[in-house]
Amino acid sequence: MRKIEINKSGRHLIELKNPGEEVEIVGVFEAKNKEKIDVEVIIHHQAPRTLANTTLKGVVRDQSQLKFKGLITIDPNCGQSSSFLTERILLLSDQAHAEAIPDLEILTDDVKCSHAASISNLDEEHLFYLMSRGLSKKQAEKLIVNGFLEAK
Amino acid sequence: MAIRNGASMAGYKHGDSFSTADYKHISKPGLSERVIREISAFKDEPEWMLQQRLKAYEIFKSKPMPKWGVDLSGIDFNKIRYYLKPTEDQFSSWQDVPPEVKETFDKLGILEAEQKVLAGVKTQLDSEVVYGSLKNAWSKYGVEFLSMDEGLKKHPELVKEYFNKIVPAADNKFAALNAAVWSGGSFVYVPPGVDVKLPLQAYFRINAQSSGQFERTMIIVDEGAKVHYIEGCTAPNFSANSLHSGVIEIFVKKGAQCQYTTVQNWYKNIYNLVTQRAYVEEAGKMVWTDFNMGSKATMKYPSVVLAGKGAKGEVLSMALAGADQHQDTGAKAIHLAPYTSSTIISKSISKGGGRSSYRGLVSIGPKAHHSKNTVVCDALLLDPESRSDTYPVDKVFNSQVEVQHEATVSKIGDDQLFYLMSRGISEEDARKMIVNGFIEDLVKKLPLEYAVEMNRLIDHEMEGSIG
Repeated sequence: MRKIEINKSGRHLIELKNPGEEVEIVGVFEAKNKEKIDVEVIIHHQAPRTLANTTLKGVVRDQSQLKFKGLITIDPNCGQSSSFLTERILLLSDQAHAEAIPDLEILTDDVKCSHAASISNLDEEHLFYLMSRGLSKKQAEKLIVNGFLEAK
Repeated sequence: MAIRNGASMAGYKHGDSFSTADYKHISKPGLSERVIREISAFKDEPEWMLQQRLKAYEIFKSKPMPKWGVDLSGIDFNKIRYYLKPTEDQFSSWQDVPPEVKETFDKLGILEAEQKVLAGVKTQLDSEVVYGSLKNAWSKYGVEFLSMDEGLKKHPELVKEYFNKIVPAADNKFAALNAAVWSGGSFVYVPPGVDVKLPLQAYFRINAQSSGQFERTMIIVDEGAKVHYIEGCTAPNFSANSLHSGVIEIFVKKGAQCQYTTVQNWYKNIYNLVTQRAYVEEAGKMVWTDFNMGSKATMKYPSVVLAGKGAKGEVLSMALAGADQHQDTGAKAIHLAPYTSSTIISKSISKGGGRSSYRGLVSIGPKAHHSKNTVVCDALLLDPESRSDTYPVDKVFNSQVEVQHEATVSKIGDDQLFYLMSRGISEEDARKMIVNGFIEDLVKKLPLEYAVEMNRLIDHEMEGSIG
């Protein structure tokens, strides 16, 4: 499986032109201070039996801004294709701003396609669990954020 | 749509119409300041309403046609007739209603449903409400269920306060058009603490060709009150396109609840472009249930503005797009206050080359801490020619929130079909069962009689769909 890593703002076009082509796309971002990160990923299926797995993750701090725009397009006659798009954002500051746009355009019926997006803060229960084990709040936050960024 | 049990259903064919020869007034095609002044004069409106209309007309002219969503190139504003008055008055007894009008609504099952399961009924034909009733049980508590024109006459101060408040004329081109030429629609006021246990039903029908229906509905649910309002829409089969462009404004006060259900089965020559929005105060709850089956093209995004602490919003929407249809539907949830929550569930079915799109916006403002939102969009594609799109936008401006979005696109699984068929069910019935199961979550939110009817409509749409 082809692996593509996305680590820059901007527009990224990924085309699947050959039947049976498989690709995994991963992007991990950390925005802090007054950074502005704007990522657009287009996954364009143009052949049958193609597979794409796309995961975008981000942590947003301070007064930074993060925008994920993902689009899966499956052309007609691309039967038996699968495409999955996940956008997860941890929003850690009230002055920060997060935006998730996961779009789908599906023109074939014989496909498996889904997307999921979430924007949330750290789970209070996770924090509590770690702090009850003697970790400081800062340490616990760091562990959870690291876990979030590493998890598949 | 109303309940159509056995016999009463028999006389009606989808697409029936009757002659407009006896109409009291039909305006000439095209829109001008004169037409607007004419409508206002017919209705004997106060001066401020005429001024609102003229102001909205200027906004309408200044706004370009929307370039996104459905293809609107088939609309010719110069060919549409903006005001059609079928009868002199609104009647409160079916005996007074002209026979051909009564017959149409009888065939649709309205008369029967009114007796059995509804608290009140309004029926609108083209531009005007022709019949209205409200059971005594509710009117004695001060519940008002009027046509918008009556509402303006009887409660001018309320209408003046709330008109264009949450859907301003400048919101979009079609909201401006509605504000300029609106006619008919419902005015509902539920006093504090009153629970209207049976649904109120409004029935909208377009009977004339190349016409526009621009109903305007305002619902005010006062503190702690509760109401369920249902609207049904149908139109006959004509070759020329007609336009339906309504505006619905709902105000849910502290602790009040409102459910607004639309069952839209326009004939496939109608452009259905509706703006509907609800403003929800503290601990109030708004539920939109939206079923879009008909029309040529629909653009409709029921919205909830959660303005008070702990307000809740739900949008449950179902769209079915067949051949030559584009259903561009969705929802908007605007969170302005803390501890607010919203749920959006959208199910769409595309068949015969139809296209259905979900378009949504979730915005959680800086003050809306501890707010939650969940969006689930499921799409079912029944054949290779059909198309499904999902265009959601989530915007978050504070950190104490949970926002989730999920969407899937799939077809009817061969294993699902095989399982049912191995039990001796025919392929067509198996497909119907799977499609009905797909939308069951939403249908459950309807009163029983409507849920039964909805399942029948889906069955009807699925008839002969095996290619």
